[in-house]
Amino acid sequence: MTKSLQQKHTRYLFARLLAVLLLGSIAFYFFMRMHAEHMQLKQLELRQRNLQSAFLLQQNTLMPFHITGEYDIAENGTLPPQQLGKPRDTLVFYPAENKSLPFAILTRAFDANGRHYQLTTYVSSTEIDHLIMKVFGTEAFLFGLLFVVIIYINYKTSGVLWKPFRNTLQKLREYDITKQQPVELGADTGTREFDELNEVAAQLIKKNRQAYHQQKQFVENASHEIQTPLAIIRSKLELLIDQPNITAQVAALLADITEANDRLSQMNRNLLLLAKIENNQFPETAAVNVSVLMEKIIAVYRQHYSGEFPEIETAIQPDLLINCNASLIEILLNNLVKNAVVHNIPGGYIKVELTGDCLRIANSGQPQAIASERIFERFGKGTDETRSTGLGLALVKQVCQLYNWKVDYTYQNAVHTITVMFSAT
Amino acid sequence: MKVLIIEDEISLLRSITEYFRKEDYLCEGAGSYAEGIARIEDFYYDCIILDINLPGGSGLDLLRYLRTHNKQDGVIIISARDSLDDKIAGLNLGADDYLVKPFHLSELNARVKALIRRKYGQGNNLISLGNLTVDILSRTAFIDKAPVLLTKNEYDLLLFLLANKNRVVSRKSIAEHLFGQEADNLPSFDFVYSHIKNLKKKMKEKGADDIIETVYGLGYKIIG
Repeated sequence: MTKSLQQKHTRYLFARLLAVLLLGSIAFYFFMRMHAEHMQLKQLELRQRNLQSAFLLQQNTLMPFHITGEYDIAENGTLPPQQLGKPRDTLVFYPAENKSLPFAILTRAFDANGRHYQLTTYVSSTEIDHLIMKVFGTEAFLFGLLFVVIIYINYKTSGVLWKPFRNTLQKLREYDITKQQPVELGADTGTREFDELNEVAAQLIKKNRQAYHQQKQFVENASHEIQTPLAIIRSKLELLIDQPNITAQVAALLADITEANDRLSQMNRNLLLLAKIENNQFPETAAVNVSVLMEKIIAVYRQHYSGEFPEIETAIQPDLLINCNASLIEILLNNLVKNAVVHNIPGGYIKVELTGDCLRIANSGQPQAIASERIFERFGKGTDETRSTGLGLALVKQVCQLYNWKVDYTYQNAVHTITVMFSAT
Repeated sequence: MKVLIIEDEISLLRSITEYFRKEDYLCEGAGSYAEGIARIEDFYYDCIILDINLPGGSGLDLLRYLRTHNKQDGVIIISARDSLDDKIAGLNLGADDYLVKPFHLSELNARVKALIRRKYGQGNNLISLGNLTVDILSRTAFIDKAPVLLTKNEYDLLLFLLANKNRVVSRKSIAEHLFGQEADNLPSFDFVYSHIKNLKKKMKEKGADDIIETVYGLGYKIIG
């Protein structure tokens, strides 16, 4: 599952920062413990020194041998020598409070007046333990606070830092090469990487645009140039078919050539038309009564289509007005109806539904011979249908694109449906 | 009849000239703006067929020149530009007709004839062929004075064939004559066949000679 960069960054930091702070806390605790023990030892040793010198000065008579929680002097002490000089822990019972308290103790041996003594000094562990707990608690609190603040700051910064990136992304997403509008990628985002990204993207767009423009220009120029030779061929063919004494064989050849030439002319004309729509050469718009136009087109088809005409079922909302160019909408409707007629099957039907802002033309037909997404492409022909130029639906798409109408094709249960949503998407 | 064709595409110019030869027109050609100006200054033409894109200038300027010099030659513009604006501009400058390239020669022929009839017909609104007579004004066809009831399409078809008498007229040119460029959108031109069939049937019922001939798969021809 992909996550946003901000999320990832935060997550990454979260895991690592948590680990570092936890380890740090543990280390801190042990260091503190170590230092505390060291301090205890020093205190014990200091007491040893003070008591020993006091004992020697007092000539052993005046000083008590035992004060609870302070020291212990034992003549001929029995502690094994290996334990001498090493701090130990012990519990001392206080009868008044009826509880035992932890102490650190240190025992050393010394001689005085020819006698052996073992002196044990006491330092309470309770206070130091409390101090450690308090310091550690404070530290843990600070670390926790630090953790939250760092994560928060990081989260916020990352949002701010990546803003130019998201802006660029949004603009690139909205960019449509078929539209003439330029893309304004901020040239100065304040971040070198994003400046570079914008620069590179802008260059890429420029190059693509040039290539696209050249290609468009090529198609346009080519179809313009092809027009004249086509017109010449057509005129010569007309002269030819008018020659006297044409044999049936020659006539058949001429008929085929004429037909092919007519198809070529039509294709060429459609290509030019596509280029013109793309170049926005149909700027005039008016409120067109699509309902009337649709009825008219269907009537023309019904009248002029010899052979078996598909059953037409219409549900056309009267007087639906659409703001657009009158020629373009006629091209669109004509091509949709033609498509439904030409790609039908014997005994088939066409259903035309025009309601609200939606036109739906469904027709029976051969199983889908072309991928749905390719059906609106130029020459995206599924069959070798000679009555089709392979440009009709491309024209439909082009017109829809111009007006931001949504056009869709679906195929289900041997029914081909094309839907045009006239409301801007 | 004198016809001037101003068209820079020599091959197309030759086609038009050749097509008109059968019509007993006196055809002259001009391949550039300057040549065209020189011709119209020196001579009067009944009809000028004028291309818009010419070397050395625009056909529209030539038309403007013609009209500002008060020359009343009939003008049919032939142009590759088919936007409504171009058409309106041409007609506003005083052109009599506007034909978009590529056109059929039979269509051009019919337009020239219509133009000449309009301009110089002087009340002669009847076209006759054998026992067939067509009254242009009332848009009615008669066989031996008996009217034949024709639909609009059948009448237009008959007139088109008559304008191209003794020539083979292709099905596509008939389709385009009847429906203009919209004919391109029709999936087939078979309807031309049914129009012809109905026309022949109606004429035959009134006792007309069988003057409409089918020429293989190419088209139709009126013989007279």
